[in-house]
Amino acid sequence: MLLVEPPEGCPTRRLPPFAAGVPAPEASGMHAYLSANKRSVVCPDHTALTALARDAALVIDDRVGRERTLTQEALEKCSANGVLLSITWFGQSGPYRDYAGADGVCQALTSQIDWLGEPEGPPVIPGGYQAQMIAGVTAFVASMGQILARELGNVSGSDHLDVSVLEANLCFAEIECLRGFAGKPTRERLGVNRFRATYPLGIYPCRDGWLGVTVLTPSQWDGFCKLLGFDDLAAVDRYQQSLERLRDADKLEGRILERVARESATDLAKRGQALRVPLTIVPTMDQLFDVDQFVERGAFADVAHPDLGSLRMPTTPFRLHATPAVRGGTVAPLGAHTQVVLQEAEAAL
Amino acid sequence: MSRPPFLQGCRIVDLSMGWAGPLATRHLADVGAEIIKVESCVRFDWFRGWEASQRWIDNHEAEKHEPFNALNRNKFDVTLDLSNPRGRDLLLDLVAISDAVIENYAGEVLPKLSLGFEVFKAVKPDIVMVSMPGFGSSGPWSTYRAYGSTTEQAAGLPHLSGHPGHPPTMVHIALGDAVAGLNGASAMLVALRHLKRTGEGQFVDLSHSECLLPLAAHGIAEQALTGTPPPRLGNRSRHCAPHGVYRCGDDRWIVIQVQCEGHWEGLRSVLGDAVAGFDGLEDRLARSEELDTAVSRWCVHQAAAEAMGSLQSAGVPAAAVVASKELMASPHLQARRFWKILDRPYIGEHPNGVAPYRLQDGPLEIGWPAPTLGQHNREILGGLLGLSDAELADLERDGIIGNRPRLPGAVGG
Repeated sequence: MLLVEPPEGCPTRRLPPFAAGVPAPEASGMHAYLSANKRSVVCPDHTALTALARDAALVIDDRVGRERTLTQEALEKCSANGVLLSITWFGQSGPYRDYAGADGVCQALTSQIDWLGEPEGPPVIPGGYQAQMIAGVTAFVASMGQILARELGNVSGSDHLDVSVLEANLCFAEIECLRGFAGKPTRERLGVNRFRATYPLGIYPCRDGWLGVTVLTPSQWDGFCKLLGFDDLAAVDRYQQSLERLRDADKLEGRILERVARESATDLAKRGQALRVPLTIVPTMDQLFDVDQFVERGAFADVAHPDLGSLRMPTTPFRLHATPAVRGGTVAPLGAHTQVVLQEAEAAL
Repeated sequence: MSRPPFLQGCRIVDLSMGWAGPLATRHLADVGAEIIKVESCVRFDWFRGWEASQRWIDNHEAEKHEPFNALNRNKFDVTLDLSNPRGRDLLLDLVAISDAVIENYAGEVLPKLSLGFEVFKAVKPDIVMVSMPGFGSSGPWSTYRAYGSTTEQAAGLPHLSGHPGHPPTMVHIALGDAVAGLNGASAMLVALRHLKRTGEGQFVDLSHSECLLPLAAHGIAEQALTGTPPPRLGNRSRHCAPHGVYRCGDDRWIVIQVQCEGHWEGLRSVLGDAVAGFDGLEDRLARSEELDTAVSRWCVHQAAAEAMGSLQSAGVPAAAVVASKELMASPHLQARRFWKILDRPYIGEHPNGVAPYRLQDGPLEIGWPAPTLGQHNREILGGLLGLSDAELADLERDGIIGNRPRLPGAVGG
């Protein structure tokens, strides 16, 4: 994987958080996460870029406007059986094609923000780079499918994949669109951690942390009532229906809050799961590294960064038992592999 | 219309239900993989409905539920009672002629049915199996029950969204499902590629909650870099301003995310005097409350859609917040032919969003809508496995296959 960067470094190097809070090409924690195990090349010109792309199975380009057009022209000439993947906020066509994007912008246009927060507003923008992360996995699916198709002999020649962050994030809203089309009520903003479809579903403070609760089916409601000693609520027939509980959410909320506040979240989650109720602790960032499930499965590994030292970062979320993915890795300084990579490309000519 | 043939020749037995697994296989079905979805008349995909009653069955509600119909197009559907030895044997016969199996049961379900990777491998030595329970197939939580909400909670993500005075804030009723579905498709594609190149199958173990950790990467990175997590600031940012959601004059909301000085200059050119007196980033961050008030004052005199147009024309990331019921009418999605209208028994015409990527020729075509329960019993069990009409009739009489849901304990046939 070659990360081809401009002389000032690729945009991920300017993504916060930064070491000591100060932006610098080798200070971004996000760049460290996103770029481990890639070789960094600063291409002097389009000729060099064309040489690098010539034998690539996949070329990924996330630039927009004039820069993208130049790159596309160069790449389309050089890849006979490769795939060029564009990943942009709004895709290569349509009236928003040249719009300025951001995670919250795409989440607004896919309705994700509309249902978050207090009913009176304002809606809530999810933290971080969630929309872009979803688009990244979508791009992986799209490109890996094309690479496999070529190896299977099901398709030949070069092609251009067009991934938009906007459309990738419609995965969260498409079911609601069908509901709306069928004339059924669609999702609306009901309050923080309050969603149509069921209740209780939320996050509650306990004496040692936060408890995540989802109760959907009648048997889960029975188990939840048993866990908290709510015999009277378990006996209410209509509470077997998730929407009936949601209707009385304000009435039930106080009892749940009061009851779980004295308990240990860890203990409740364990005992709830024993009753087949989907409960969990909600770990803070500092607790995350020590969650026993994540520790046992190796969900985090160290990434070595030349300036930042060793950082614990998430590993690939699936384990291929015969061909395991690399865990952790090393982040290359800007342009660290330029010379060797360009020499390799020249030698291959 | 026919779907593209990119994965033609890849056959996958799909035991998954709900959102994540079916979304994973929908991504594969959309590009030509042969997905054989296995349900049973009693244990049907719970996305057909989770509060079944006889009246619900009689009204054919199992065929009308939007979640199922959104996630299962381009697939074949058979019913097999896996608790019956004959049904289990037929499943193994299907596995024996397939490349892969995918499942997302809670950890103890397949062992109870005497099924699992080693059993599948015995009938198909090079089988790929992608297993995707909520917390993965190993570890102390491997048998824990989880929905997409549970895995979002367990990944710590809610600590990175919302206002400081609110509890940790979830961003979806089932965030983990859609994200795990994408990762499930990724995992399967990697394993299939290895299979096709080397002839080696393998077991792939996916954890929904771990799939969500990358969405928390900024918080994890900050914790790792500084020893402290990022604070929750509602819609504000510590790195740029203005950054928020503002009420407009038509009582709609607009998101504005100024992320660089170019955006700020664009905003200033549109808002003019409304934001006079604010200057460099440091000043804007220090006076973010004041700045938000100024932006809000401008917004209340605008309609959200028009404000979005003006700001975008000046290169500012801005968007009117749309409701899900408005997405069908999005001019951008319409221009990109994102929605396809499919026709299906029991519900008639209904929309499906195409694959969230396209080739230079345009969006990928959809072959057929979500299957009805057991719709392809004859085609798969008769056609692929060679069962005779009489054998199929026996299976139906014994309740091992069928086309209609049954309540637990109800007699088959």
